[in-house]
Amino acid sequence: MTADVTTKAAGRAAGEEQVVRRDRDRRRARDLLVIVPTSLILFVLVFPVLWMVLTSLRPTTALAARTPWSQYFDGLGFGAYGRLFSGSHFGRYLLNSLLVSAVSTACTIVLACLAAYGLSRFRFRLRGTVLAVVLATQLLPFVVLITPLYIALGEVGLLNSYVGLVIVYVAMTLPLAIYLTLGYFNTIPVVLDEAARVDGCSTVGIVFRVIFPIALPGIATVVVTTFIATWEEYFFASVLMTSDDLKTVQVGLSSFFGEYASDWGMIMAAATVSTIPTIVLFSVVQKRLVAGMAAGSVKE
Amino acid sequence: MISRPVSRPTARRPYVLTIPALVVIAVLFLFPSVYNVVLAFQKLTPYDLPSDAEWVGWDNFESIFTDPEIGSAAFNTVFWLTALTVVVRLVLGLALALLLQSRVLHRWRLRGIARTLVLVPWMVPPVVAVACWKWIFDANTGVLNQFLVSMHILDKGEAFLAQTSTAWWAVAAIVVWRELPFVVIVFMAGLQSIPQEQYEAAALDSAGRRQSFRYVTLPHLRPVMIVVVLMTVIQTFNNFVYVWLTTGGGPGTYTQVLATQLYSSAFVSNELGQGAAIGIVMTAVMGVFALVYLRVTSDREGRSA
Repeated sequence: MTADVTTKAAGRAAGEEQVVRRDRDRRRARDLLVIVPTSLILFVLVFPVLWMVLTSLRPTTALAARTPWSQYFDGLGFGAYGRLFSGSHFGRYLLNSLLVSAVSTACTIVLACLAAYGLSRFRFRLRGTVLAVVLATQLLPFVVLITPLYIALGEVGLLNSYVGLVIVYVAMTLPLAIYLTLGYFNTIPVVLDEAARVDGCSTVGIVFRVIFPIALPGIATVVVTTFIATWEEYFFASVLMTSDDLKTVQVGLSSFFGEYASDWGMIMAAATVSTIPTIVLFSVVQKRLVAGMAAGSVKE
Repeated sequence: MISRPVSRPTARRPYVLTIPALVVIAVLFLFPSVYNVVLAFQKLTPYDLPSDAEWVGWDNFESIFTDPEIGSAAFNTVFWLTALTVVVRLVLGLALALLLQSRVLHRWRLRGIARTLVLVPWMVPPVVAVACWKWIFDANTGVLNQFLVSMHILDKGEAFLAQTSTAWWAVAAIVVWRELPFVVIVFMAGLQSIPQEQYEAAALDSAGRRQSFRYVTLPHLRPVMIVVVLMTVIQTFNNFVYVWLTTGGGPGTYTQVLATQLYSSAFVSNELGQGAAIGIVMTAVMGVFALVYLRVTSDREGRSA
C-alpha cells in the first residue's frame, strides 16, 4: 500500500508529493498515539509474569545482590526448581491440589449435569425457586460461610480431610456449573432424548450417554473453569487444611513467604509451577471462555 | 425380554435429578448462613463444643459499631479496597478496551496478540499474583526499588507494603493488576455490540470523535458499566486474599479490611461469634448490591425474551 502511494506520488508535482508524504507521516504519528500507550499498558500487565519466570531461573547469588541490568540474564538455570522439589514439601502440595481439584471437578460435573438436565427438560413447580437459589448462592460472600463451616466440619470430623475440602469445593463451584451446563443442554433438541427413551434408555443414561457427549465441547469449558476455581482457591483451603501434609499448592506457596523469605528464586519457581496448569487449561478454552464471560455480562 | 415400564411417573423425575445438587447447596450455603446468624448471638471459641456456647444477645454487634478498629476496617474496605480500585479499573479498563478495539491495531496486525496479552494477569492465580508483586516491591532487591534508585528517584529502597504512606497504594495496584482483564473483556464485548450505523449517522450529523464517544459510545455502554460496577464491587468488597497475603492487615491494623477482620476475630482472637457478626454486616451491605444486580440482570433477561 505504501509503495503504491509512493509510485503515484512520484508521477505528480513535487508539491503534491510533499502533501502525500506529510499525510502519511501524520497518520503514522497518529498510529503511534495508539500503539505506544497500548504497548506500555500491556507491558505493565505482562511484566510481573515474565519477571516471575526470569527470577525462578536466575542463580541465588545474583538475586541477593544488586545486579547491573546488563548481567540480568547471566547464569540462568533450574537450580531453584531443584531446591523446590528436594528441599520443601511442594511436591506433596501439588499432589494434594491435583487430587482435590480433580475429584471436586468430577463430582461437580456429575451433579451439575443431572441438575441441569432436570432444569432444562422439565417444567416443574419449584423450577423457578431452584434457579433463584442457585443464582443467589453466587452472590453470597464466601468469607461469611467460613466460621459456621469450620465448626460444622469440625463436629463431623472433616477438618484436615480431603473429603471436607472436596465437599466445600463442590458446593462452591456447583451453582455456576449448573448455570453454564443448563445453557448448553438447552441447545440440544429434545428429539434425541425421546429417541433414546424409546430405545429403553434410563434418564440418567440419557444424561450421560446421549446429552453429555453432545454437550462435551461446552462442558469442557465448565470443567476448566471448575478446575481452575478450585486450583486457585486459597481461603477455605487455608482455614480447613492446617496440617502441613494436607496443604494445597496455594496455601503452600503462601507459607513460603515467611518460611523461605530470602529465597525468592525458589518462591518464584513455586509460583511458576502453580501457574502452569491454569495457563495451559485457560489457553485451551480461552476463546469460548472469554466469549461466554463477555456474553454473560453484555447480553441485552 | 421384560422391558422396564415405558411410562414411569415423570412428575418426580425433575426433583430426583435436581435433589443431589440442591442437597449440597443447602448443606453448604443455607445451613451455614442460618447457623452464622445463631453464632452471631453467641460467645464461642474454636476449642469449645458448640453446645458450650453462651448466649450474649447483641453484644457482638454492639462491639462492631463501637470498636474503632472495626470502624477503620469498614472504611478501608469501602474506600481503599473497593471504591478506589473499582474506579481505577473502570477508567483503565474502558481506555484499554477502546485502544484494543482501535483500527490502528488492526491495521498493524497487532490486535490478536494484544487481546491475548491483556488476559495474562487473569490467568495467574491470586496467590501467585501476590507472590510476584511482593517480589517486585521487595525493599532491597525488588525490581521496582532497583529501578527507582538507579533513576535517582529514591535514595534507597522502600518497603512499599510495610509503611503506611504506601501500603494501600501497593495493595490497590495488585488488585487492579489482577482484576483489570475481566473489565477489559466485558467492555470490549460491549463496544462490539454497538451498531456501526450509529457511528455513521453521528458522522453524517458531523459529530467529531469526542462527540460520537459522548453521544453514541457512552450511552450504549451504560448498562454494561452498571453490571461491571456491581460485579466488581461485590467481588472486591468480600476479598480476603490480597490484603491478608500482602500486609496481613498491617502495619499494625492500618490496612485491616472487614474480611481480614472477620478472620482475625474468629481464628486469631478466637471469638467465633464476633466473626459471625461481622459476616452478617458484610452480607447485609453486599445484599443491597446483590439485589440491585439481580434486578438489573433479570430486567434485561425479561427484555431479551
